[in-house]
Formats: sequence, structure tokens, C-alpha cells
Amino acid sequence: MKEPVFELEHVHMRTDRGGHVFRDLNLKVEPEQSAVIVGSSGCGKTSLAELLVGLRFPQTGEVKLFGETLQRRKKRVIRRARKKIGGVGGPFGLLPSLTVSENITLPLVIAGERQKLQRERLLRMLSEFSLLKVAGKYPENLTRVEYSLVQFARAAIANQPLIIIDEPSAGLDPKTYRRVFEFLVKVALSGRSMLILASEPIGREIPGAVTYNLVNGELA
Amino acid sequence: MIRIAHIAREFGRNLRRNPGTAFASILSLTLLFLLFDLFWLAAGTSDRFYQDLLSGIRVEVFVEEPVADSSVAPIKEGLENIEGVFKAEYVSRGLARERLTGLVGADLLVGYDETNPLPRSFVLTVEQDYLRTAALEEVERHVRAIEGAGEVHYSRVWLAKAENTKSIFLQVGLALGALILATALVSSTNNIRLMTRARAVGFRQMLLLGAGRLFISLPFIVEGFLIGGLSAALGWGIIFYGRTKITFSRIEIIFPSQDDIIMFCLVTALLGAISGYFGLRKLLREQA
Repeated sequence: MKEPVFELEHVHMRTDRGGHVFRDLNLKVEPEQSAVIVGSSGCGKTSLAELLVGLRFPQTGEVKLFGETLQRRKKRVIRRARKKIGGVGGPFGLLPSLTVSENITLPLVIAGERQKLQRERLLRMLSEFSLLKVAGKYPENLTRVEYSLVQFARAAIANQPLIIIDEPSAGLDPKTYRRVFEFLVKVALSGRSMLILASEPIGREIPGAVTYNLVNGELA
Repeated sequence: MIRIAHIAREFGRNLRRNPGTAFASILSLTLLFLLFDLFWLAAGTSDRFYQDLLSGIRVEVFVEEPVADSSVAPIKEGLENIEGVFKAEYVSRGLARERLTGLVGADLLVGYDETNPLPRSFVLTVEQDYLRTAALEEVERHVRAIEGAGEVHYSRVWLAKAENTKSIFLQVGLALGALILATALVSSTNNIRLMTRARAVGFRQMLLLGAGRLFISLPFIVEGFLIGGLSAALGWGIIFYGRTKITFSRIEIIFPSQDDIIMFCLVTALLGAISGYFGLRKLLREQA
């Protein structure tokens, strides 16, 4: 039997001021499944993303990624888990010192993939997200829409089994959002899992996705 | 797997974005290493001078009275068998008289032809490595064990003073060398820290994508390596250029061997690599 993509078990997390971010949070996403978490601004959506990439750790409870428990001291486990995650928005940003092309291929460079493969996939991503014209630009010279699309391209290039998307519609016009949504459906159909964190319901159906509401640190 | 192309690109990017810092780093390190090189030259030259002085030390062994002249040969053999003694030259009473006459300019022993009072002796040629207080004391101990060999004379006080001076010079040299290398390390580390602080956001993103510390640090380690090695090479370049312009007629400047210079450049390059690693370590810890 395959391991769940990620699993949160009885997660309690407090803010630095002592308030609750999560109270007994439980969430499991199996392979080929996705989760859409909807919650108002400040409800802890980004904290959830940070938990899954090992940027923050719960006071009690466990966060498991691909069968391995994330712990502050286990840097190698965290690094291994991060390599399997593509990210958009929230804690994920672009590297200001790299061009669009370099940003997109970075997951493949880190994974040590061959340059030929890097070039092939880059070309595919640049075409798919209409980024050919900005391939040589630096992030500071991109529009908000272009910036988001580059993030999506980077999250897609290495075919990682989990993509975390914090606010998929942020900064996108309706036309671009439709394209992005098509991409999300494609990812879901390809058998990869997604964790979508949104302030408002995403409005459309993603295959294999379950929607939860995050209210007062609990999922409903 | 670390991608060489990525390292080369990152390295080029670092230099392009911070040419001033890189230039300042090379300049300050060159100056420090130049100071170190000059001291090295001074140490090498003074060491040669010291060795020349030492080679003039005469170790004399007097033959005890009343040992017959026919028994002198076994003493000579015994002396030449001592470890560190290269040759033992016998100085008979007659030869001693000749030398004294040569020194004074007149024969002071006229009338003493039958009863020449000058002592017989051996002048020992001691190997260079044994021209040290401790080694000569050991030679003296062996000399005294030879039957018929008496007093041993050499410039003990002068040798002790010379050794003391050399020891002080060595200690100052080591302290100065350590200080210069430590300064180079700190200066280089700080330069790399300055260069990387502005890129903290980028490193955080790389770590989020699963990059290891080595993956991020390697371009800076390479940079430190190159800057360290280049600065040391530049320091020697300046000295060799100076050598073509300035000539010393009275002192022969002793240069280190080519191998030693290459080794020095490699050590400084390694030092630079270490500073590259340390320059980034704290930042990566904060970002992890």
C-alpha cells in the first residue's frame, strides 16, 4: 500500500503571542488525491504550508510527508521532503538573482538532472505558460501575472508528487486564472497531489480534491 | 549531485553583482600576503646568514698530557667515529707554533725548540645539522669518553646567543604569520558575509526547493578558493617584479623554492575556501 502524500495528526500550534493557530488538526491526503483548504485571511493557511515544508513545527502532534515525520533536527528528512514539493505563493517565491528560465529550472538543477532534460522541460514550461518573451528577465521586471505564472511553471517542471498552492488566484486576471485552473486539473489528472490554500472557494471542481474549511484552527 | 555549470554561473553572478567587494577582498588579501612574503624572505635570508656564521665555529679537542705522539692516531679515529663529526684534523705542537707565528707575526717560542709548550689538539669539522648547543654537548660527551682526549673548546656563549636570537625570530615569525593568516581568514569571511547578506531571500528559496547547504555554499567556497590563491600569487608576483627592479649587492636575498611558493598559494586558497564556507554558514543556519 502506498504511503499518504502527507498527514497531519493531532497538530496543535500556537502563535508567538500564545494564541492558537491549529487545535487538534487532522488531515490526510492519499496519492492521487488533493485537498482544498478554504479560510479567511489570517486563519493559518500559510502556516499550514510552512508546516508541510518544515519551516515551522507544531507544539504537539505530527506532520508526516511521504511517510516520514518532519522534525526540526532532522534536516535531511526535511530536505528530502522539500525536493518532492512544488510550491506557488505563500512561503514560495522566486530568486531575485536568477532569470525566469533559471528560476524555472532550479528544481531540476537541484535534483542534478541533465542539462538536455532541463532545456527540454524548460521550453515546454515556457510555452505552456506563455513565458517565452520573459525568459531572460529577472523577477523584479515581471508583472504580477507573469510572476505567478513563473511560480506555476517552476512548481510543474520537476513533476514533484505534491504541489502546494497558496492563493491560486492571487494577482491573476480571470483569463489567466482559467488557464491556471486548466493546469490544476491537468496536474490532478496526472495523479499528482495538490494542497490548495484559498481565501475563497475556488469555484470549480478539481478531480480527486476534497474541500475543507479552516475555521478557528480546526478543519470542518 | 552538484552541477558544475550551476557553480560556475553562481560564481560569475557573485562577481558581477559585487565587483567592488571582490576587488577590495583581493586587494586587502594581496597586501596581507605581501607582508607575509616579505617576512618569509627576511626569515630565509637571516637563516642563511646564521648558517654561514655557524659554519665558522671551530670545535677544538686538546690532547691530554702526557699522551705520547704515537697514541694520537687512535684518538683521531675515535673522534672521527663520533656521530656528527665529519673530520678531525690533528694540530701538532709544531703546527700550532706555525699557526701562532702566523697569527702574531713573530715566533714567540724562539729558544723553546726542544720543549714546545703549546698543546696538541684536533680541530673537528662538525656536520651542519650538529652545529647546535644540544648536539655539540652530545659530541663533547662522546669526546670525553675517548682516552687521551681532554678539553673541548668552542664558542659556547656565542652559539647560545645566536640560538636564542634565532628562536626569538622564529617565535615572532610564527606569531606574525598566524596573525596575518587569521586576519586574512576573518577579512575574507567578512567579505563573503557582506556579499551573501543581500541574497538571503534567494538562499531561503533554494533551501525551500530542497537544495542542500553544500549546493548553496559551493560557489562561495570556490570563490574564496580562487580569491585566496589569486591574492597570494599576486603578492609573489609583486615581489618577483620588485626583484627585477632592485638589486642588493651586499646581501643575497634567499627566495623560497618554487614548490614552497605553490604550496603557500594552495594553502591560502584553502584558507579562502574555508572562509567561503564560514561566511555563509551562519546565514544558512538562520534561513534553514
